[in-house]
Amino acid sequence: MGMSIAHGVAAGMGGIRTAGDLVARMQMARKMRINDAKAYVAKKLKISPSDLSDVYVMRDVREELDIGIITSVPGCAKGIEAKARIAQLLDIEIASVNRLKNKINF
Amino acid sequence: MKKHLTRRGDGALIEMTSEEIMSSLEAGTEDAADRGKIAPLSKDDLECLLDIFMDTNRFVSVEQGEEVVVTHDIGTLRLMGDQGNSGVGIPLSRVQGIQVHERAFCSDTMELGHIDYSFKPVKPVIAMEQQEMENALLSTIIPLFYGAMPNLGTYYSPDGPFGNPSDLLPAGKVKEAYEAQEGAVEHAIRDMVYVGEKLAQVGCDGINFDTTGAAGDADFKATLHAVELLKKNTNLSVQVGMAGEFVLGMHGGLEYEGKRLAGLYCNDQVKLAEKAGADIFGPVVNTKPSKDMPWNLSRAVTFVKACVEVSNIPIHVNMGMGVGGSPIFETPPIDSVSRASKAMVKIAKVDGL
Amino acid sequence: MEKAEYMKKATQYIVDADEEAVEKLARDYLEDGFDPLEMIEKGLSEGIRKLGDLFDRGEVFLPHLIIASEAMTAAVKILEQAMPADQVGKKLAKVVIGTIEGDVHDIGKGIVATMLRVYGFEVIDLGRDVPIATFVEKAKEVGADVVGSSALMTTTMAGQKALEQALKDAGLRDNLITMLGGAATTEHWAAKIGANFWAESAGDTVMKLKETFS
Repeated sequence: MGMSIAHGVAAGMGGIRTAGDLVARMQMARKMRINDAKAYVAKKLKISPSDLSDVYVMRDVREELDIGIITSVPGCAKGIEAKARIAQLLDIEIASVNRLKNKINF
Repeated sequence: MKKHLTRRGDGALIEMTSEEIMSSLEAGTEDAADRGKIAPLSKDDLECLLDIFMDTNRFVSVEQGEEVVVTHDIGTLRLMGDQGNSGVGIPLSRVQGIQVHERAFCSDTMELGHIDYSFKPVKPVIAMEQQEMENALLSTIIPLFYGAMPNLGTYYSPDGPFGNPSDLLPAGKVKEAYEAQEGAVEHAIRDMVYVGEKLAQVGCDGINFDTTGAAGDADFKATLHAVELLKKNTNLSVQVGMAGEFVLGMHGGLEYEGKRLAGLYCNDQVKLAEKAGADIFGPVVNTKPSKDMPWNLSRAVTFVKACVEVSNIPIHVNMGMGVGGSPIFETPPIDSVSRASKAMVKIAKVDGL
Repeated sequence: MEKAEYMKKATQYIVDADEEAVEKLARDYLEDGFDPLEMIEKGLSEGIRKLGDLFDRGEVFLPHLIIASEAMTAAVKILEQAMPADQVGKKLAKVVIGTIEGDVHDIGKGIVATMLRVYGFEVIDLGRDVPIATFVEKAKEVGADVVGSSALMTTTMAGQKALEQALKDAGLRDNLITMLGGAATTEHWAAKIGANFWAESAGDTVMKLKETFS
């Protein structure tokens, strides 16, 4: 029951359980304020901003888009696979994804 | 008269009537407004804070739909640390620690940090940090920062090449103290840019400058210049987290873009971070242990709200132990922590924690 | 000039860290036959107190505080020439201070040491990362009235508890006051380990020690 967990439960979006990582990426990549970042991601996912932190909605969305889900289901995108799809979905650059692409570009 | 449970700044449980709580809230916001020359919280804001403190639930939270992004500092040391860094001593690798945060704690972002969490000690072991970051990036989905403290103190004797201003100033060697700090700034910029560039090479998403300004205005200056260079030379996202509500004037004469750094409060600090190119800013407001939490949280929210209002970049308020309205206690009570979270989101309108 | 006007100017010159002006003022004050001790306690000390407040608010900075303390020292030197011998150089108490073993943070501790000197305490600053045994040896050697320790990390705080015990074991504890400070510490911690008091800031330290020793 650490402090950081308490903050996350009290106010956090929920990471890959929901859309927390996606909204975070828009803040980091484009300096978007929270509501703008949520609006952007919601539009890309074709859902409403209020659905972004609803695990009931986001579980299906993440599974369908194959952008990584919280449980370790075989076949679902994990790690860099998921990030590659997230970069495409959100139309942003993710450095580790670009690095992999460059490295496998035989 | 009914008493409500709350805490003192050091985490001790106390009881206060609603009148006492409101009186503390008013005093806290007035203190912040006076010091920072900013607007105090409105009557509505104070009423909202009062409701938060009078809520009898142990844990409170934001309303559905109000959630924000959480970024971190200290990396995974909170899990595997056991050497004076407030960790719980679970022998995990750092990559495992990051995975635990992603999958068990549902963190929105995470951070890799070295056990000696400053930029200067990381430089000789940067290859180790790079390979850890590479492994972490391959196996995780959430954005990853690399975090460290500018910590200009590592450039002063006995740890570094420059005289220590803490020794030079009391000895009346003011000119020498200035020179030491100015020299340390140059070295720190060089090291922070070096570390940042090395991590950018392996695909790191972002870099977090934690406790910026801890060693005073020289510390802040070095960070701003490093941010500028990293934004110019790399694709890193940059987060600047501060060390205090105002920048300690160890030098007093250092400037960035014509603005003196010493004495700047959060709402001015963020504008310089923006100018340097930072993507996310983390203001800090220190908790006073002798004051009650209503006073402390009201004061913290006042400072942060003023920062949010002038900022053009996301604000992720620092809410670790003893800052942002959290008590100064190594394991802060979650009743206080959750109230601070809620207040910062609802009233200060932060973009993240 | 009236005495009240002298006091007001003395306070302002210290706040402005104007050594030349405060030295001249001190000489003029003595020529007018006023009490030198009163100038130190009410005029000059008030200036330092105001500066302490301004420093806590981030409105003045450390070098300015140092220069102001030098101005005060210079003015006090002039005023002491007109004081009875038994009052000259009389220090309120002897304070041994340092950052506790394992901790290298010393900015705050340095500010406390400076402020205490300015307020008339004799301060022996042991520096940073000071072994417990060194605190004890020095306290014994100089006949310390106060032993103060600073800790900025939750792990180094344990050293402050060890210091309390070490002073007891050396038979010194009953004859001196212990105080502690540092960002990680609290009043609760001080009470828990048996320290006499905890100080939240440099100003708080000075105030508590002055109350004890004045």
